[in-house]
Amino acid sequence: MHALLNGFADVLTLYTLAWIGVGVTLGYVLGVLPGLGKATGVAVAIPLTFYLQPVAAIALLIGIAKGSAAGSAVSAILLNTPGEPSSAPTALDGYPMARQGKAQKALKMGLFASVIGDFLSTLLLICLAAPMARYALLIGPVELCAILVFSMTFIGGLSGKSLIKGLIAGAFGVFFATVGLETETFIPRMTFGLLELDDGLPLVPIAIGMLAVAEMIVQAGNMRQLDRETEEIIDGTRPEDRVVLWSDWKRCFAPILRGTLIGSAVGILPGLGASVGSFLSYGATRRASDRPEEFGTGRIEGVAAAESADNAVVPASFVPLFALGIPGSVIAAILIAAFVLHGLTPGPRMFQEQPDLVAAVYAAMLCASVVLLLIGYTGQRIFAQVARVPVRLIIPVVLFLCCVGAWMETGSVFSIYIMLAFTVLGFLAKKLDFSFVTFLIGFVIGPSVELSFRQSLQILDHDWTRMTEHPIALVFIALTVAVLVVLARGRTGGGAVGAVRDTGTTITKGRTS
Amino acid sequence: MRRANLISGVALFLSGAVMLLFVLPAQIEEGPAGMMSPRLVPQLMIGLIMGLSVLLVATNLRDTRDADTAPPFTRAELKAFAAIMGLFALTLLLFFLAGVLSAVVVLIVGALLILGERRPLILLLMPLCLVGGAYLLFYRVLGTAIL
Repeated sequence: MHALLNGFADVLTLYTLAWIGVGVTLGYVLGVLPGLGKATGVAVAIPLTFYLQPVAAIALLIGIAKGSAAGSAVSAILLNTPGEPSSAPTALDGYPMARQGKAQKALKMGLFASVIGDFLSTLLLICLAAPMARYALLIGPVELCAILVFSMTFIGGLSGKSLIKGLIAGAFGVFFATVGLETETFIPRMTFGLLELDDGLPLVPIAIGMLAVAEMIVQAGNMRQLDRETEEIIDGTRPEDRVVLWSDWKRCFAPILRGTLIGSAVGILPGLGASVGSFLSYGATRRASDRPEEFGTGRIEGVAAAESADNAVVPASFVPLFALGIPGSVIAAILIAAFVLHGLTPGPRMFQEQPDLVAAVYAAMLCASVVLLLIGYTGQRIFAQVARVPVRLIIPVVLFLCCVGAWMETGSVFSIYIMLAFTVLGFLAKKLDFSFVTFLIGFVIGPSVELSFRQSLQILDHDWTRMTEHPIALVFIALTVAVLVVLARGRTGGGAVGAVRDTGTTITKGRTS
Repeated sequence: MRRANLISGVALFLSGAVMLLFVLPAQIEEGPAGMMSPRLVPQLMIGLIMGLSVLLVATNLRDTRDADTAPPFTRAELKAFAAIMGLFALTLLLFFLAGVLSAVVVLIVGALLILGERRPLILLLMPLCLVGGAYLLFYRVLGTAIL
C-alpha cells in the first residue's frame, strides 16, 4: 500500500496526467475508428515514447489501451460496426438503441460500464499479480519451458478459428524470434549478412506492419461499403433518451458486476481474448434476464454487460504478464517492448527489482480509468463525429504515422523494409485466417522458449525420464496434451467456423445483427 | 476457405522444406563442439510447421463440410494491396533520390489519390497538417530531432 501511494505521487503530476490524457484521447479516437484497435495504437505509439520519462511513457500507452477498449463501443453503437471484434456484442443492443434515437444513452452506459469494468479489473490485477509472482519465482527452467509451451498451445488453439493454423502461426513467431546473434555462441542466424539483423528483428515495425498497415490495405479494399455505413448515423431528440436514468442503473448494476467478473477471469487466462469475455458476459446476462427474447432489440443491459467485460479483460490480461512474464494477449505482447524499453522487465522479478516503477504503473492504470471517464464523458459528442470521417481520409494519416513509428525504432529506413515485409505477411495472415495474435505472442516469448528449452536439456542431461523429478512441468505437459485433444476434437480442419474470437483488429465491418 | 487451406498448406510445406534443406544450413553455422547447435530451435520450428502443414492439408482433404467457397481475397483488396505497396515503393525511391520531404508528401497525396480523394484543398492541407504536426510534436514539444 505504501508503495502504491508512492506510485500515485509519481503519477499525480501535471506532466504524467497530461500524457495519460493524450493517451486516452488518442486511444478513444483509434477505438472509434473501425479496425484501428488498441494493439495498433500502442504499436504505433511506442516509438513516440522514446523521449518521455518512463512513468509518463508507460502511462501514455496504458491510456491508449484503455481509451481504445472503451472507444470501440462508439462505432459499434452508432454504425453497428464494432471498432474491435470484442465490441461486437455491444452492437447487438447498442445499434437498435441508436436506431430508436437512444444513441446518447447507449454511449453513456457503454462508457460507464467500461470504466467500472476497467477499474475493478485493475484492482484485481494489483491484488493478484504480486502474490502469484512469489510462487512463480519458485519455477525453474524445466517448468518454465513447459508453461510456455502450454501457453503457446492454449493461445494458438483459442485465438483463431483453426487450431492447426494457430499453432503454425505460433511456430512462425518463435522461428522469427531466432533471427540474430545466438545468445550462447554468438553465431549469427539467418541474418543474410545484414548487420542490422544481428540484434534480431525489431518488434515494433513487425507489429506496425502486421496490425496497422495490413489492416489499412484490407480497409482500402472495402472502402465503399465502410463509407456507406458511416452515412447512416441518426440521433434522437427526447431528453430522457440522451441520459442514463436511475432506472437504467438499477437494471445494469448486476450485468456490469457480472461482466467485470467474467472479463477478469477471461483476461487472466492467456489467449481467450476480449471477444470471448464480452460474448460470454452478454450471453450470461441474457440468460439471467426475465425477458431474454428482448435482447437484440435495444436492451441497455446488453450494452452494459458487453462493455464491462470487454474492458475488464485488458488489465486482467496483465496478470500472467506481470506474474509470469507471459503475455496473455497481443496488447500485453506489444507492451512488453515498451516496458523493457523504459526499464521494466515484466516477470516475477520485477516486483523485487523495480517495486517503485510497478507501483507507478498500477497508479497510472487507476488514474487512466478516471481520466477515461472524464474524457469519454466530456468528449463523447466529438468522438461520435470521428466515426463519421470517411475511410479515405483516415488511411493516409495512418500510413504516415506507421512510417514515422517504424522509422523511429531504429532511425533508419531498414525498419520500413521490415514493416513492409511483415505487412505482406500480415495481409496474408488476415485473409487466410492465420492468427497474427499467436504469431506476435510467439515472437515475443520466443527467446524465453529457446533459453528455457536449452537450459532444460542441460538440467535433464538429455534424459527425458528425469522429467519425473519435475512434477509441475509434467502437469503442464499433460495440460498441453489435453488442450490439444479437446480443441482438435472440437474443431478439425482450417476452415471450421467457431465462435467469434479476438484475432486482433477487425478485418471487415460485417454487420452483427 | 478449404481450397485456400490446401494451397497454403502445400506452400508452407514446400517453403519449410527449402528452409530446412538449404536456407538454415547456409545461414546458421554449426556451433562449437560440446555446445548445443544454434540450428536446433529454428530446425524444430520449421519441422513443426511442416508437420502441421501436412495436418492442415490432410484435414481439409478429409473435411468436405466447409461450404465457404468464396476466395479469401476480393479483387478490390488485391488492387488495394498492389496500389499501396506500389506507393510505398515509389516513396522509398523518392526518399533516396529526392529526400524525405518529397517522399512523405508523395506518400500522403498518393494515398489520397489512390483512395479516390480529388478535392484540391484536402490534397494540399493534409500533407501540410501531418508534416507540420510531426514537426511540432517532435522538434518543439518533445524537443528531439528524428531525422
